[in-house]
Amino acid sequence: MVETRIIDGPLPPLDDASAPAELVPTLRDGQDGAELLFHGRVRGTEGGRPIVALDYEAYLPLAETELRAVADDTASRFPIRSLVCLHRIGRIEVGEASMRVIIRSPHRTEGIQALAHFIEQLKDRVPIWKWGVTAEGERFPSRGGHGAPHP
Amino acid sequence: MTALPDTIRVRLICFSLVKYALGKDQLTVELPTGATTDELEAHVRQMAGDRLPAVPLRVAVNQRYAPAAATLTDGDEVVFIPPVQGG
Repeated sequence: MVETRIIDGPLPPLDDASAPAELVPTLRDGQDGAELLFHGRVRGTEGGRPIVALDYEAYLPLAETELRAVADDTASRFPIRSLVCLHRIGRIEVGEASMRVIIRSPHRTEGIQALAHFIEQLKDRVPIWKWGVTAEGERFPSRGGHGAPHP
Repeated sequence: MTALPDTIRVRLICFSLVKYALGKDQLTVELPTGATTDELEAHVRQMAGDRLPAVPLRVAVNQRYAPAAATLTDGDEVVFIPPVQGG
């Protein structure tokens, strides 16, 4: 099962019983020996400048297509049973999660490899960008990205 | 408005460094018939001047990644993609 979404709003709580089952780690059918939960979070600096938040923007039609393609590619390359990715856009304060990935697999090794592959591909292909927001309210585009040391 | 017979109009949507450099979310650009994405990129870089750093730009045409120097047609939607930063 592969599920990807780009959402303009908060991530559902992990224990939210009202959230769609595919968006939270609730599957308990006894076939997955590994469940990986990854959150990308907003650091307090961007390009060396202190920030209070990041504004994430996406070229949505292409970002949704590419995010799904990266997830499908990952699921075809590694023997995992499910991959869910929720990526937020809009303003996200320092410390908050910008992205959630949940991968389940029978064994841990392929799950860990799949997670690494998925994130590397996402950071190469999916047209999402960050703008730093300072305490004074200034917005500036991030210059990080593919090929940069720490995108 | 309709483009002249020997010209095309494309809609350029701007994100990230391109938006910052041009100061616009989107604009319409008139080009000679047969113009390519490389020629449009050169035009964008000329408009942006020093405000657009020398980062590589990929290009999407009509909501798909396009090869370099793809030929544009009237009414195309074009986005230059600075290095992406999701995650």
